[in-house]
Amino acid sequence: MSTPNAHYGFAERWLPRLVLAPSFLLTLVFLYGFIAWNGYLSFTNSRLLPNYEWAGLVQYATLFENERWWVAVRNLGIFAVLFIGGAMAIGITLAILLDQKVRGEGAIRTLYLYPMALSFVVTGTAWKWMLNPGLGLEKLMHDWGFTSFTFDWLVNSEMSIYTVVIAGLWQSSGFVMALFLAGLRGVDDSIIKAAQIDGATLPRIYWKIILPALRPVVFSTLMILSHIAIKSFDLVMALTGGGPGFSSDLPATYMYSMAFTRGQTGLGAASAMMMLATVAAIVVPYLYSELRKDSHG
Amino acid sequence: MANSEKFWRFALYGALLFAAAYYLLPLYVMLTTSVKSVEEIRVGNLLSLPMAVTFDAWSKAWSTACTGVSCNGLSGYFWNSVQMVIPAVAISTMLGAINGYVLSKWRFRGSEIVFAMILFGVFMPFQVLLLPMAQTLGMFGMANTTAGLVFVHVVCGTASTTLFFRNYYVGIPDELIKAARLDGAGFWRIFWRIILPMSTPIIMVTLIWQFTQIWNDFLFGVVFASGDAQPITVGLNNLANTSTSVKEYNVDMAAALIAALPTILVYVFAGKYFVRGLTAGAVKG
Amino acid sequence: MGALAIKNVTKSFGDTHILKGINIDIEAGEFLILVGPSGCGKSTLMNIIAGLEQATSGEVHIADRVVNNVAPKDRDIAMVFQSYALYPTMNVRQNIAFGMETRGVPKAEQNEIINRVAKMLQMDHLLDRKPSALSGGQRQRVAMGRALARDPKLFLFDEPLSNLDAKLRVEMRVEIKQLHQRLKTTIVYVTHDQIEAMTLGDKIAVMKDGVIQQFGSPQDIYERPANLFVASFIGSPSMNFIPCHLVQQGEQIGVTLQGNGVPQFIALSDRAELKDRVGQKVILGVRPEQWDVEQSEHALQCAVKITEPTGPDTMVYSEVNGVEMIARVHPRAATAAGTSLSLILDVKKAVVFDPETELRIA
Repeated sequence: MSTPNAHYGFAERWLPRLVLAPSFLLTLVFLYGFIAWNGYLSFTNSRLLPNYEWAGLVQYATLFENERWWVAVRNLGIFAVLFIGGAMAIGITLAILLDQKVRGEGAIRTLYLYPMALSFVVTGTAWKWMLNPGLGLEKLMHDWGFTSFTFDWLVNSEMSIYTVVIAGLWQSSGFVMALFLAGLRGVDDSIIKAAQIDGATLPRIYWKIILPALRPVVFSTLMILSHIAIKSFDLVMALTGGGPGFSSDLPATYMYSMAFTRGQTGLGAASAMMMLATVAAIVVPYLYSELRKDSHG
Repeated sequence: MANSEKFWRFALYGALLFAAAYYLLPLYVMLTTSVKSVEEIRVGNLLSLPMAVTFDAWSKAWSTACTGVSCNGLSGYFWNSVQMVIPAVAISTMLGAINGYVLSKWRFRGSEIVFAMILFGVFMPFQVLLLPMAQTLGMFGMANTTAGLVFVHVVCGTASTTLFFRNYYVGIPDELIKAARLDGAGFWRIFWRIILPMSTPIIMVTLIWQFTQIWNDFLFGVVFASGDAQPITVGLNNLANTSTSVKEYNVDMAAALIAALPTILVYVFAGKYFVRGLTAGAVKG
Repeated sequence: MGALAIKNVTKSFGDTHILKGINIDIEAGEFLILVGPSGCGKSTLMNIIAGLEQATSGEVHIADRVVNNVAPKDRDIAMVFQSYALYPTMNVRQNIAFGMETRGVPKAEQNEIINRVAKMLQMDHLLDRKPSALSGGQRQRVAMGRALARDPKLFLFDEPLSNLDAKLRVEMRVEIKQLHQRLKTTIVYVTHDQIEAMTLGDKIAVMKDGVIQQFGSPQDIYERPANLFVASFIGSPSMNFIPCHLVQQGEQIGVTLQGNGVPQFIALSDRAELKDRVGQKVILGVRPEQWDVEQSEHALQCAVKITEPTGPDTMVYSEVNGVEMIARVHPRAATAAGTSLSLILDVKKAVVFDPETELRIA
């Protein structure tokens, strides 16, 4: 045993790298490699089949002149603002209400959160039935005596994107509630007691002390919600199919139809790159700051 | 003072119940609609209780409803999803555990960069992968197969599972690893004997999270699978969007419930872990 | 026989130098303390001895064998950690057995060792419990048992008592000392607590900024600290540092101290080192217990600002030469705040530092 153990340094140093290697390679090739590949496709004239001849910015030029793309971008704007704002407002309100030492809190929380376990396709299918102009909500209101009530958003190209917002809020607001409730429970009790002794009223304590303390939660919730919004695909496909016409398209559904149903591979690739750029602009600074915090904590 | 206190409690519970109703109503509507007949749907409204409960819509949704050209119901899709979800969840969870172990307890120069690179995979829009992945799967003969879908889910799911395990393992004191090394245990022995037995909670969280994610996925299903390999979400969407002369909403709702059933069951029986997964995925530890 | 020798060990991460050339040599059976404030490098040094980290340069010898390239498990050492590092999913018996199992010790022998260790530490009744079902003191005991089961050449203790409450800490301290006397093993013990350092160590290495400030016996370090840092780190309350000038009065060299009365000349006679420094600024180091209350014309008159009775002694806070000064006096001799107190200095024990280099000069 008195001879130096040659395996000592070797195993210590190389085994962890070796073990991580498969996942690292998968990530490198199938995430970053594919981003590059997709990026290249967006600079070609690919139609139904990929064509690897460099064509410069043609696809981006087409994309930026394409009315349907701008509808999708505008819809994403509407959807993101209403969805994120609405989910935050509902979620925070419910979390504060649930934080008042409510009886049966566990059961209520479970009810608020179950939609998150559903597929967006299920949610879309359900709301499609409830919002359908003939037999859904409209019929219900008529039965209740509001005979002049009409609700045709699902088939109204001006309003169809708002039905996506309604269904999205139903599915995701409970999630925001759960995040904030966890955050509220993490706030140091003694701060609240100190504020009470100072004579602050409950709304004031929430507004001035607790919510500011929850800034990290607000921040990561915003990240998650905007990320859900940008990726939104299934909900639209199931609820409106992007219609009527293409009035409720989002970038994700636009990309899908260009790339896989309309044989516009290059255009699809270009729109995917635009989505990536948007996400990266939001996420990269966030990840950077989080990782920095990590290594200094 | 006492009266206003009472009033506020009353208002509080009122608000909470109202919200509960808002979340529950769609489920109620789905359930009642699925056991009504088409005729009854036409006569009644969203909230009316079924007069005669019938499970015809369920059996139709399961075995004979049309999803596009074929009319074999959702059963085939359901089993496709089962065959896809089990290996995909198992493999991605295993990879995540090992990656998390290395990235938290065996850091090396550059491991933080690797972590950051993997982490970006949690957030990136998968649209940028679709075209190259479709090409690649085609090249390897995995297009339109369950194996192809499993592969895609493993590649895209490993980011989250790695994040989960890494954040959990960061909380395990490093001294435990040192003690085990002094006891003569190496990389694998420490993993199997010390770390893995401590991982039950995070394994549950990850399994449930991955199960929900992969079961509910629609994007990869619709892009990478056609015909025989399509998962349940695609089946449901096809079923609901197949135009028939009379729209059978009862069958749609039964189909939606069939598609939702596994994840709802998981939620009911392991809700604690499900919620933890959601928060773990959102608030980086 | 040398039990542990550390020769010119350094550790750097890029431009950050954690250890800057450490040299330590102890004999078998000695109890070595590594003490210093957090960030001084003591834990890094411990990890290098254990083989959990590798030195950038220099050599570590355990039992006269260079172990730089020997894996931790083959160094014939055992370690007790601050957090105890008990494997949470195993019960106490399995915790102790894990290392022997890895080394392939036969089952019967394992049981024998476990029983012997359990008896020695009086924890037979805990063997089937999980760590989560143990109190802090019991966990500490199990961690020590796990180390004892190895019967190593060298024991490493990494701040083993800092997670215990004050009372238990004192008890365990005594127990560790008894164990050491009984087993006569070599121990390296890291702590930031100077009382543990003084009470347990045969040798103490006081560290700061990756450098050993002083290496010696506890008494030596207490009485003859090498520099201002060591003087202030060891001892509680800390040594008083009184700035003054070296002056010559007739034959005698000394300093002048002033409380709230007339300045008093204190002769530091027979200290040859001071001869060349007459007229220069020095720092006089006086431990609180080196003052005595005595009415005398040579006594220093001090205004009492605060008194802190601790029971056996009372700490008296006053001011000398413009800086705060603490004297540890007999409770009956202490007078109330606002009064004046006559103090006599035990000149032989006082030390003198150079204010520039901070080193002790006499």
